Amino acid sequence: MKKTISLLLALVMALSLCACGNSTGGQTSQPPAQSNAPADPGAYEVTEPITITWWHALEDQYSADVERIVKGFNDSQDLITVEAQYIGAYKDVNEALVSAHAAGSGLPAVCVANTDYVAQYGANGVFENLDAYISGTGYDVTDFSTGLLLSSQYEGKQVAMPFLHSTQVIYYNKTMADEKGITIPEKIEDFEAFLKAGAEACGGYGTMIPGWDQWYFETLYLNEGVKIITDDNTCDLNSEAALKMTNQFHDWYEAGLIAWPFGPDASSGMRQTFYEGKTFSVMHTSSLYNNYVDNCDFEVGMAWYPAASTGDKYSEVGGCVLGIPAKNDQATKNAAWQFLQYLVGKEVNMDWAKVTGYIPTRNSVLTTDEGVKFLEEKPAFKCVFDNLNLINPRIQNAAWSELATTWKNYMDNMMNQGGDISSESEAMVEEIDEILADRG
Amino acid sequence: MTIGSRKHGVGYYVITVVAVLITIVMIFPLYWMVATSVKSAAESQLIIPTLFPREFHFENYLNVLTRANFLKYYWNTIVMTAGVLILQIGTGTLAAYGFAFGKFKGRDIMFYIVLGALMIPLQVTFIPIFIMCSGWGLQDTFLGLILPEAVSAYYIFMMRNSFMAVDQSYVDAGLIDGLSRFGTIQHVLVPMCKATIFTVTLVTFSNGWNAYFWPKIIAKNEVRRVLTVGLAQLKQTFAGQAVSNYHEIMAGAVLAVLPLVILFMIFQKYMMTGYSKAAMK
Amino acid sequence: MTDSPARTPQSGQTGIQEKKPLLTARTKSKIVDFLFVVPALALLALFTYYPVAKLVQISFTDWNLLSPTWDWVGPKNWIWLFTGSGAKYLWNSLKITFLYSLGEIFATLVGGMILALIFSRMTRGFSAMRAILFVPKYVAMSSCAVVFMWILNTDYGVLNYFLSLAGAAPVDWLGQKSTALISVLMTTCWRVLGYGMMIYLSAMIGISPQYYEAAALDGATRTQQFFSITLPLLSPTTLFLLVTTFLSSMKVFQSVDILTEGGPSRSTEVFVYLIYRYAMVDFRMDRAATSAVMFFVILLAITVATMKYSNNSVNYDS
Repeated sequence: MKKTISLLLALVMALSLCACGNSTGGQTSQPPAQSNAPADPGAYEVTEPITITWWHALEDQYSADVERIVKGFNDSQDLITVEAQYIGAYKDVNEALVSAHAAGSGLPAVCVANTDYVAQYGANGVFENLDAYISGTGYDVTDFSTGLLLSSQYEGKQVAMPFLHSTQVIYYNKTMADEKGITIPEKIEDFEAFLKAGAEACGGYGTMIPGWDQWYFETLYLNEGVKIITDDNTCDLNSEAALKMTNQFHDWYEAGLIAWPFGPDASSGMRQTFYEGKTFSVMHTSSLYNNYVDNCDFEVGMAWYPAASTGDKYSEVGGCVLGIPAKNDQATKNAAWQFLQYLVGKEVNMDWAKVTGYIPTRNSVLTTDEGVKFLEEKPAFKCVFDNLNLINPRIQNAAWSELATTWKNYMDNMMNQGGDISSESEAMVEEIDEILADRG
Repeated sequence: MTIGSRKHGVGYYVITVVAVLITIVMIFPLYWMVATSVKSAAESQLIIPTLFPREFHFENYLNVLTRANFLKYYWNTIVMTAGVLILQIGTGTLAAYGFAFGKFKGRDIMFYIVLGALMIPLQVTFIPIFIMCSGWGLQDTFLGLILPEAVSAYYIFMMRNSFMAVDQSYVDAGLIDGLSRFGTIQHVLVPMCKATIFTVTLVTFSNGWNAYFWPKIIAKNEVRRVLTVGLAQLKQTFAGQAVSNYHEIMAGAVLAVLPLVILFMIFQKYMMTGYSKAAMK
Repeated sequence: MTDSPARTPQSGQTGIQEKKPLLTARTKSKIVDFLFVVPALALLALFTYYPVAKLVQISFTDWNLLSPTWDWVGPKNWIWLFTGSGAKYLWNSLKITFLYSLGEIFATLVGGMILALIFSRMTRGFSAMRAILFVPKYVAMSSCAVVFMWILNTDYGVLNYFLSLAGAAPVDWLGQKSTALISVLMTTCWRVLGYGMMIYLSAMIGISPQYYEAAALDGATRTQQFFSITLPLLSPTTLFLLVTTFLSSMKVFQSVDILTEGGPSRSTEVFVYLIYRYAMVDFRMDRAATSAVMFFVILLAITVATMKYSNNSVNYDS
């Protein structure tokens, strides 16, 4: 057997030498495709029948809506047939898209992407730069809310278009709040008193902060003046302000005022806890408004996050944008551009806004009578409409998703697993700095 | 070992009771899976669970089959398993014949190379294989699901051992009778090694049906998603409705295990000896 | 296997021609024989050995699946793996993988042996119970995992319900460091116990009753018989189970992926999950490849060591 092993080793070595000899593997020969097509309108026309695919992350509960909306497009013209494919959660779509991009095959014509992937896709040429399409076909983008348009850009290039957007909000048990006279605080200083009152009122938690996605708490850090990624490309999550915030969370956690759900079952667990009235409030995305209302037998209130000690009360945009994978051929891209315009169009957008908790993306809705009508149907969205100009784009860094994964894992360790705040924060920042230096 | 224990002592009954208790504990997860799968969403989430379903909601199964696309996943799993099985049997039987009866230089070294592959699981090599396959455009295709599993060192090894147990004279007789090598395999070796082939094939089938790691990597799109991966995703697919949708997830789990468990009931003897055969060699 | 009877008539024909001495019937026959193993060897070369070489190559690049180009970076990834932030997670996942492995081996060997002793009776009822115990082996791991995810659920899980009957507080099985790995192991145990039992039972049946009769005559008790006859005679089986269980437990992925995704705080991040995370979540092919090579080396070292020790008395397969 000894002989066999040495033989095997020799074989592996030999093969590895061969492999090293040709260094073509893995190296994509073509540069990231840029839209260098001429700017004449004809270049983006669809002239022949074509079938394209659209990858989305809209779960089963939206399947009828997806079907209806896609059918609407397919019936509206003769040339393009769209097939919608459900891939999974945003992270599943990300994995599938990046794999297909690396392979250069099996790409969808149109793909959704969570707002924090925009920079990554822009920097690496995964998504087509849409500027030429917009100018080439004279597409009007001025009606889009500026913040949303910005959050689908990378370094000034429109690499995606705003699709389904939401922001961070606090859902609370309005029935109980009215009964006990509890109000959602405007400032973080008053938050602890609120948590205590809420926890006492429901006999459970004051609120729950989703630990499974740093998006829900990163905004609280940003408002405290923490930059997360500083100008000299390092991480400041162990700065004084950041540590103060983390310690604050930890104190609340230790006092049983908040929960920090984490893990595969966390999201549904948190919602369930709220439905059953075992937590007074939860911090979640505004897109789930309809779910909360439908599942609770009490009135659901929606409030803006409290302002930080700096007075800032910005939030961050969530949800997803639509992009066209750059490695598609031009005919597919042209068809994709047609479909994309339809999806982000005002009509479809309002359709979504009505059946879900996603917010309208158009100024002509947000600032007009239409908006007023929308609010009449969904009065809880007043807090979102009031603060529309406070919704910021995401941090744009090509290493963001790696950073985010590291951060939320450390946070789980510090909250749920009893990790020491200062030493863990130190280790976390060291690790994130390494990621930033490597990739940023 | 219990031969001749006619008079049953206390120990005999104690062991019976313990055995029955263990069996109940072991079968409970399966029972719980089936029981939950027919409950309503509300009943599955009672603080004090009902050990027997109050009412039967078979529509859970319908939901999983149609809304969550399990019909499609079934088809994908069947095609993938069949493809893997056919290729593994094909390449495996041929190679086993070559290694058992062939007379060419380096035969034993080559056989060791095959054995060496047992030490290199797909979990080590998936990155380059994934890159190769996606470079060939095999993402989300049956070929991509099947090809990396087309040959099984385990199958070759088991078949070769089984063939070697056949006396050389039978093989020679076959050749003298004018049978080709394929004919010898088909008419002489396969009938003589039927039992081994059957059990090894069952094990291979079960491994193929239960495969998760590679399909998860190569087939991310629902078009070619297989049952195991689809089941793991069911939570996400139904997210947002009744929050905890375990009644539907359990229905999916039942659907995923049903074919194998039925097969097990039919071929119980073979399937139970299938694994122990490997151990006896 | 001494004489070569293949195609005697043909060799007569070629003998007449005598123009192609390079390809005698014997050689031809050898080539045909060789062709039988070619498909398998070619596929193994392409899908097993070549990828290993390729992994070594990738481990010296900075290849990220997202970026269109890559460069050679020398031993950077290896330095990262052993001294950088990679080291921490490498050791962490090695530790967890071995803990997991130990648990699975214990369940299969000790649990399987105990069950084999309890369920050894050759009656119909016991045969049916044995079949029930063995069924989980055929239940897909993904089904197993979702079922246990449900059983272990903190709020509605039936396990916590049973515990509450005994007065215990609900346990967040999958959500806390101290119980997550145990929960994953619980799922595994359910699947392998019956398997270990079956393997031991079929080996026990093979032991000649004469041994026991002789021992009984010598006045040995049941316990003495077990330790002096059964256990030693089962040692090849034990070794087989040890090696195969160890190798398959090193590859654990599915249950971890579904139950915990490696968490909480990486407390269930086994080696394969670590590689998977680097490759398919972070898209860091360079780091994933480096870790995979490391994994391969570990598997190789352990297999070689075991084979040396066991003197080839077992075969290793899953």
